Amino acid sequence: MLTAVDRRQAFRYMGLHGAPSPQLLSLADVCEKALLSVIRPRYVHRIFPLVHREDGILCEGSTLLLTGEDIRHHLEGCDRAVLFCATLSAAADAQIRMQQQREITAGVMADAMASALIEQFCDQAEQEMLAACPDAHATWRFSPGYGDLPLSVQPAFLTAIDAERRTGVCVSESGILIPRKSVTAIIGLSDHPVQRQKRGCAICNMAAHCPYRAKGEHCK
Amino acid sequence: MTMETLLKSGFLILDGGMGTMLQANGLEAGGVPELLNLTNPDGITAIHRAYVQAGSDVVYSNTFGCNRLKMAKTGHSVQELIPAAIQNARNSGASFVAQDIGPIGQLLEPTGTLTFEEAYDIFREQIEAGKDADLIIIETMTDLYEVRAAVLAAKEHGGGRPVCVTMSFEENGRTFTGCEISAMALTLEGLGADAIGVNCSLGPEELLPIVQELCRWTTLPVIVKPNAGLPDPATNAYHFDPARFAACMVPFVEAGAVIFGGCCGTTPDHIRAAAETIRSLIPVKRTPVIPAAVCSASRTVIIDQPRIIGERINPTGKKRFKQALIEHDIDYILGQAIQQTQAGADLLDVNVGLPEIDETEMMVSAVKALQGITDVPLQLDTTDPAALEAGLRIYNGKPIVNSVNGEAKSLASVLPLVKKYGAAVVGLTLDENGIPKTAEGRFEIAKRILDHALSLGIRREDVYIDCLTLTASAEQEGVMQTLSALRRVKEELGLCTVLGVSNISFGLPNRELVNQTFLTMALHAGLDLPIINPNIDSMTAAVRTYKLLANFDHNAVDFIAHYGGEAPAAAKPAAQNMTLGEAVAAGLRHEAGTLTKAMLSDIPAMDIVNDHLIPALDKAGVDFEQGRSFLPQLISSASAAQAAFEVIKTALCEENAAPVNRGCIVLATVKGDIHDIGKNIVRILLENYGYQVIDLGKDVPPEAVCEAVTAHNAPLAGLSALMTTTLPAMEETIRLLRERCPDCKIVVGGAVLTAEYAAKIGADFYAKDAKETVDIAKQVIAG
Repeated sequence: MLTAVDRRQAFRYMGLHGAPSPQLLSLADVCEKALLSVIRPRYVHRIFPLVHREDGILCEGSTLLLTGEDIRHHLEGCDRAVLFCATLSAAADAQIRMQQQREITAGVMADAMASALIEQFCDQAEQEMLAACPDAHATWRFSPGYGDLPLSVQPAFLTAIDAERRTGVCVSESGILIPRKSVTAIIGLSDHPVQRQKRGCAICNMAAHCPYRAKGEHCK
Repeated sequence: MTMETLLKSGFLILDGGMGTMLQANGLEAGGVPELLNLTNPDGITAIHRAYVQAGSDVVYSNTFGCNRLKMAKTGHSVQELIPAAIQNARNSGASFVAQDIGPIGQLLEPTGTLTFEEAYDIFREQIEAGKDADLIIIETMTDLYEVRAAVLAAKEHGGGRPVCVTMSFEENGRTFTGCEISAMALTLEGLGADAIGVNCSLGPEELLPIVQELCRWTTLPVIVKPNAGLPDPATNAYHFDPARFAACMVPFVEAGAVIFGGCCGTTPDHIRAAAETIRSLIPVKRTPVIPAAVCSASRTVIIDQPRIIGERINPTGKKRFKQALIEHDIDYILGQAIQQTQAGADLLDVNVGLPEIDETEMMVSAVKALQGITDVPLQLDTTDPAALEAGLRIYNGKPIVNSVNGEAKSLASVLPLVKKYGAAVVGLTLDENGIPKTAEGRFEIAKRILDHALSLGIRREDVYIDCLTLTASAEQEGVMQTLSALRRVKEELGLCTVLGVSNISFGLPNRELVNQTFLTMALHAGLDLPIINPNIDSMTAAVRTYKLLANFDHNAVDFIAHYGGEAPAAAKPAAQNMTLGEAVAAGLRHEAGTLTKAMLSDIPAMDIVNDHLIPALDKAGVDFEQGRSFLPQLISSASAAQAAFEVIKTALCEENAAPVNRGCIVLATVKGDIHDIGKNIVRILLENYGYQVIDLGKDVPPEAVCEAVTAHNAPLAGLSALMTTTLPAMEETIRLLRERCPDCKIVVGGAVLTAEYAAKIGADFYAKDAKETVDIAKQVIAG
């Protein structure tokens, strides 16, 4: 259940530093209420046994092959993985469109808030999913597009977990998930402790020109 | 083949899961099941045959995803796969073969990038390839817009085969995209679907209330094809055994459904058990009374009490609106829509006709944009049948057509469109001889319009009569004739009534009072659909008060919600002692607008722009650049300046003065990319500086950018891309611009770009934010 927006995060996404003005705060109230009242968050997941192969990691029972060094590193020591897709639904897109048209500041606010909400929702989903495998050790959430795991894996990813039918999420030809505020991710599972590293700048493709790093900060 | 033939025994039994059977036979998640039609035809036929032997009258061809997009990478065409699949189904000995059509797999505009027209064409191709099937089934749909494209293609290219549709609903009674059950029923029955229902998503128990609701909203045969319970989240397995699944069919039969099958997790055993149960029962005869109602995909408006139609999207007598139409300024129209819906409009009239423009194109653009930002149903208002049909085709729901009248020509051109697209229609009580003076004359025309509509199969509930308001100052005795005609239409014909109200007071002083009083009189006479300006509080208040007094607003809930709080503060006086510059700096929209209005009385518009607005924006820009303020403050300032600028534009229009135009800039988010907020901020800031911005939107092909640059002779084009995967499209756009528009400078921006990369792909400038884009514009477009 999403009952509030992580405003600190949303304001950061907007590029705000320091305290928000009273105006921005009252706009935040309006946008938050509207957004929470229309979104219909949902997620779907499936646990796949992993086959570590020369050409990548195969999610057994599907045609999904995860390629690249970064996902190999991420899933090191894991014999299975949770693949999931979470979305705030197309209602979030519609709300952002409407707010932009009403007033651009409200549009930017709604967009930033929706970005914060989908992360919050992924946190909740992760907790639920991992609660169902209490004995497993889990890695962090790794998404297509991180490091050298290509975005082109998205169509096969969505098909493997039947995400289109179960969540209404599609992927465009350029690899964008639609509805926009949607996430796909992989959590490795193992019977033995695994390095639960955080998502970091090392594998981020934006690291070279990241506005947060330029200021000596992080995006999360 | 007709639906009656299919249903002659009372029930029709469909098949169960195809995917379930394929998976049981070892098809991996991610494989392409449609290819098995070629590689293992006997295996597919064997599955179909198992269903036939279990009692299925109809089997679905194995073509769920068989569209050109999903098949693109298989090396096989739709034309090859679909006939093969239908033959495999035919070989099972089934009584009937249905061509199965699932979702395309791409979301339609505006959330996705697939256009309605492309979707239609994809379905058309499938339907033409499936001509050997006995019927068409469109299933597992969640987007009503996509369904409309499919049903239209099926009706227009299906050779008269019955068209059945099932959609997938969540427990909250909506689909993933927010489509309501009532909206599905109203829209698809209107479009001429032959049977509608539900499949997939939920188990049979959860689907029951949804099917019951659907049975209340449609006279068509209702289909139920549920999953075998809910899937196990981790394994995707379904757990209802055949006996439990079959038992669940009983309440569906009691609710009135007559066509049954199974979806995910169901097998021939489930179908056998279900068929036995169902065939032991007697079909329930339903006679639902469907109320007068219109809808968008996610909002149904029942006309069982007065509903306000907002009249502001109409250029008549509005110079600013006309200018917006000429400039193709869709944002202005959207602004009018949002303002009216916030003020209380239940429906919006859309009139975008002007002799200088292509009304058909504008109707399509406006309707598409409007339905992307509001779920309030629309009333398409045009006298041009081509524009009307274009609007009806792409409207996602059941709209109102405004209007037909008693003239033979109008009846012949408008009503067939109303019937084909399943709309409601406003009938004006005038004909070749003009507007009858008497109530009797208008009543007669109303009757004639109704008879014509009924003869074409349009429902009585979908005909709304407008008895026409005449100007009281010119024809005072006509006022009561209008109301008397309205009362008779309502009472004797039982039709909904509609009336444009504001015309009554033309030429009189205190128009608002005259309008409000006439509105109240008309409501009392039985007016259902007042067409008014909802932004005028007294008009909306009159409707709300009437609904309270006439006992529509039970316990005055709505009335108290609007008027029960503290008395609304009198419009805030424009902040005392505040300057326009300060209002912009503080990001105060209302104040910026009010102050500008006041300044216009003694300062020329251009001076306000040059001496007040631009310096304020410059200062906001410098503060942002130097880190004294941040993006939200810059955007708020831009937004306040936008409000000021709108006041200036309106004033210039009223004076017939030339609009502010420092030069034209074309903006676009490149092909394949759908991120547009950054680009929109840039647009607003550029407009605030007086540039004419041609905003082509998102997912814009390179050719369209070149065409716009050429058409407007733009000296600068701005391109935005937010994804590494869409940078090649940016590069291609630059290449084409260089080739076709060598004089145009190019500025690029977006999160994944750097100055180095921008130079590498051949852009003239890289802008790291909206502020820098303005600096570049100033540099390129001198003066």
